Amino acid sequence: MKGLLKNNFFAVCSNAKVFSLFMLILGFFVVAVISQPLLIGYVLLSMIGFSINAITSIKKEYISKWGKYKLTLPIKRADIIKSHFISQLMWLLVGAIFAGLSIGLSWVLHGCPFDNGIDTISIFALGISISLFTGAFFFPLFYLGGEERSDVFLIISLLCGSGIALIIISLLNFYLAPGVSTILLGAAILLICSLLVFALSFPLTVDIYNKKEY
Amino acid sequence: MDNILELQQISKTFPKSHFTLDKLSFSLPYGAILGFVGENGAGKTTTIGCILNTVKKDSGTIKLFGKEMLDSDTDIRNKIGVVYDGENFPGFWTAKQLSQVMEGIYAQWDKALFQKYLEDFRLPITQKIKDYSRGMTMKLATAVALSHHPQLLILDEATSGLDPIMRDEMLDVFLEFMQEESHSILLSSHITSDLEKVTDYITFIHNGKLIMTVSKNDLVYNYAVMRCKESQFIALDPCDIIAYRKRDFQIDVLVSNGKEAQRKYKNIVIDHVSVDEIMLLLVKGEHV
Repeated sequence: MKGLLKNNFFAVCSNAKVFSLFMLILGFFVVAVISQPLLIGYVLLSMIGFSINAITSIKKEYISKWGKYKLTLPIKRADIIKSHFISQLMWLLVGAIFAGLSIGLSWVLHGCPFDNGIDTISIFALGISISLFTGAFFFPLFYLGGEERSDVFLIISLLCGSGIALIIISLLNFYLAPGVSTILLGAAILLICSLLVFALSFPLTVDIYNKKEY
Repeated sequence: MDNILELQQISKTFPKSHFTLDKLSFSLPYGAILGFVGENGAGKTTTIGCILNTVKKDSGTIKLFGKEMLDSDTDIRNKIGVVYDGENFPGFWTAKQLSQVMEGIYAQWDKALFQKYLEDFRLPITQKIKDYSRGMTMKLATAVALSHHPQLLILDEATSGLDPIMRDEMLDVFLEFMQEESHSILLSSHITSDLEKVTDYITFIHNGKLIMTVSKNDLVYNYAVMRCKESQFIALDPCDIIAYRKRDFQIDVLVSNGKEAQRKYKNIVIDHVSVDEIMLLLVKGEHV
């Protein structure tokens, strides 16, 4: 597993460096300017952006014969898939750190950046859930449809991920009365749903990958 | 003699391309190099795919180290080194990063040995693989395949596209690997001169079918081609003919025992035969 995670890290690394630099510069700007929509956008972008960086790195493996070569190594197919899921979670964490630092810095410099401090949790839950939904859809689609269609699968996964997260929020807003407990409950439901779909996507992806021939 | 690799009745059909690997059987003993020959599209890579489980066979059994290899048998794959033709590794890596990845994958990854191979092959450790020449990439793949102390090397067109000097260097490395009696190599290639240099056995396949497996000594000392005129060809005993091919003014006939044929057919010119010529006769020739 250690070797696979290193493999995934090297695949993401160069893109992640550029994206980190971009997010750092953008982060300074977002913190300096007092704008709630900008900060919300930054938080979502950092979490979803880093996740997508991790997800799209898979296709790099198929430019060379590495995707096929990996199957000849002393690793199980399920472990290869597991490493991709873990890598996505790790990069999501990196995105969450960027987001957390920008909110924290903004809070220190200008006070609470949102109407209500608890909104921070909702925004984080939204960013995490969109990232997880996107990964959950992308991985099985990628192995099912092949690497040459990975770009369109990424767009579909991102749209579906965002769509489902927004549908869940709309339903919660419709059925639950506004309040602090509702915000917390909504965030929890969003996180649980996305984690559940992400977890269910793993055996499905393994099953598809087990049937793949290279 | 024990076999490190054994294929029995392996079949695989690709419905889209209508290609079928048809009940292929051959074995590779411990301490031997088996050349796997066939024209492009004959089924060499498919066979190797079936051996390594990158392609799922439809039927038959493949035993590696006496056991059928499942996805969970990582211990078996720890004993195998693989080299594919072309780019085996992502181009954005350096050899150093490659070593770091392999260190986390192979139980017996020998960093010092890998470093030695890099020095011997004059491969820069910090240069990106995409900036390597083709020869350098193949050398790197060979270094990786050897640096975890495998017992079996599976080389799929590992020398194709290399110049003769580089090919010779690679063949020397393979021969050095064979110093250990328990080591074996399956060498798929259509560069027959390479096979003549290093192999102990040669397996010929054509259109997914096994034509024959023959020891190189048998091939060098016994196999021969008779250059017959039409009238001489008609007089031949069909049992002596493996394959024949009509050319402008003569018919070339492949026989498995040149000395016996020389005794039997005194007026016919008999030449030693190269692997290239055997392949041409078997693939393009006709069979009795």
